[in-house]
Amino acid sequence: MLNKKVLNRALVLSAQYASLLAFGLFTTFPLLWAAAFGLSTDGSVAYRFPQGFVPHVADENGVYSIGVTFSWIHRVFVEIPFTQYFINSVIITTMAVIGTVVISVLAAYPLARMKFFGRNFIFVAIIVTMMLPAEASIVPNYITIKNFGDFANWLQLVLTGSDEGTWRKFIGLNSYFSAVAPSVAGAFGIFLMKQAFEAVPQDLIDAARVDGATEMQILWRVMLPVTAPSIAALGIFTLVNTWNDFLWPSVVLRAKEMQPLAVGVFNDLTGPLSGSQNTLMAAIVLTVIPVLVFFAFTQRYFISGMDGAVK
Amino acid sequence: MKNSNFLAYFFLAPALIFMGIFVFWPVGFNTFLAFHNYEIAGGATEWNNFANFVRIWEEPLFHQAVKNSLLFLIVVPVIQLASLLIAKLVNNKLPGMTFFRAVYYIPVITAISIAGVVWTFVFKYDGLLNEFLSTILHFFHLYPQDKLVEIQWLQEPSIAMYSIMIFTFWKGIGYYMVLYLAGLQAIPTEVEEAAILDGANAWDRFWRITVPMVKPTILLCTMLSTIGALKVFQEVVVLTDGKAETYTALFYVYDQAFRNYDFGVSAAAGLVVTFFCMVLAAIQFRFFGDK
Repeated sequence: MLNKKVLNRALVLSAQYASLLAFGLFTTFPLLWAAAFGLSTDGSVAYRFPQGFVPHVADENGVYSIGVTFSWIHRVFVEIPFTQYFINSVIITTMAVIGTVVISVLAAYPLARMKFFGRNFIFVAIIVTMMLPAEASIVPNYITIKNFGDFANWLQLVLTGSDEGTWRKFIGLNSYFSAVAPSVAGAFGIFLMKQAFEAVPQDLIDAARVDGATEMQILWRVMLPVTAPSIAALGIFTLVNTWNDFLWPSVVLRAKEMQPLAVGVFNDLTGPLSGSQNTLMAAIVLTVIPVLVFFAFTQRYFISGMDGAVK
Repeated sequence: MKNSNFLAYFFLAPALIFMGIFVFWPVGFNTFLAFHNYEIAGGATEWNNFANFVRIWEEPLFHQAVKNSLLFLIVVPVIQLASLLIAKLVNNKLPGMTFFRAVYYIPVITAISIAGVVWTFVFKYDGLLNEFLSTILHFFHLYPQDKLVEIQWLQEPSIAMYSIMIFTFWKGIGYYMVLYLAGLQAIPTEVEEAAILDGANAWDRFWRITVPMVKPTILLCTMLSTIGALKVFQEVVVLTDGKAETYTALFYVYDQAFRNYDFGVSAAAGLVVTFFCMVLAAIQFRFFGDK
């Protein structure tokens, strides 16, 4: 009787782990394959199954054996401006994270903790934007950014008398600003921070007020330290989303030297590099690794931080 | 609560300015553009009545786009059921669950453009998927040994949309898994234990306990993925670029603006999509309004 129970349990367990593993292979196979492909001498084994999932190197006689070569990884840095893309990604992401956190915190605090004229109206207006398809705003926003550039040029002409058109580079098309501007103020961040601020006990704020703290000091000295986990979650979400953002940056950042990884590498892979599949796969692996490393350290924020945002 | 209008608006100002320019203004500007011819170079506009709407109403390409966007809805039930099952699997108190959750989340944090490039090589006629199918079929002697499977996953119009759905499924399942996980963790373990004592099998427990108890999450996720499916188009950009009859509604919007430079027509189509998303959102609000 007991044996049967143990056997049953073992069967269920192995079935569970087998399906977990099978599904894990489904979600990771493209990256594993790209890694094996990029580390192989050439693509002659890559399309065979299942050998294609193990990197193969060829010796001088053309005999293939399991092994690793880093020559394609090296090629990536020669063939595409990978370092430049990487720096662009870092700059754009840093701007987006700082911008989003500052704007969301500032906006959420009065919505959560202050009484003022039009409070409910503003909150509803912000929440309603969650339902607008952001994708439909691409065209108007593109035109707005273009006008920003023209305005900067006009301003430069009026203020300095120069018609070089260099100010355009700061806020117009092909500027870092243009890549982050439409997303820094969003309902998600404001809502997340509002929830966090509302959860702070009123006693804490009252105590600070009694001690004579100004509103700015309360926000800075009391609220921020207490809501640090929410701020971290917002920062991490923004970081990954901005790092991976493809469509909007590809629309406004047409200049190659301004493009982030997700845009620049995609353009190079589908354009000039599409011939050399090994370099292509090596570039893909290099692009994905930073996100994976970051995710490995922060994954609990993704797996647990999200439910707070949904409720 | 302290009453202070000036300070409140001072704090809100950055958010309101940015949202005003990049979120609210586009809705108004889109509406304006939809009724005009627009010249991007000079910014000249000309009222053209409903010509843009007439144009998309009559254009076969837009019909195809709408049809594909609606067809894409079939990915919704598949992805929901699968992610609920997966969430159920990783919700066990067994070693390694954190690892598997992280592994299933990897596609979500991979840039869509980069993932798309790998998948185009998976979907190629001599790509990994066909090779994989050939190997399996040869192994079971279901296909002539000297022949390979050569399905044009992304080039054949009757298949291409479904291939894009596979990609969407791969990319999105981890996201919904996390949402379901939150829902599942709210179920008291006693309920399931009681059912086990009463002799209910796994199938019954899933349909009679799990599904009813995470119903709010199911509704939320279904709405999210329905809106997501109607808005699908980055996948199209990276996988087929609209070839093989894979235009979707938003791809049409994008295509008209940035390839045809017909911003008026693009805005008109964008307005139609926005309208349908708002209708869906209103339905969603009725479902979740009392919560």
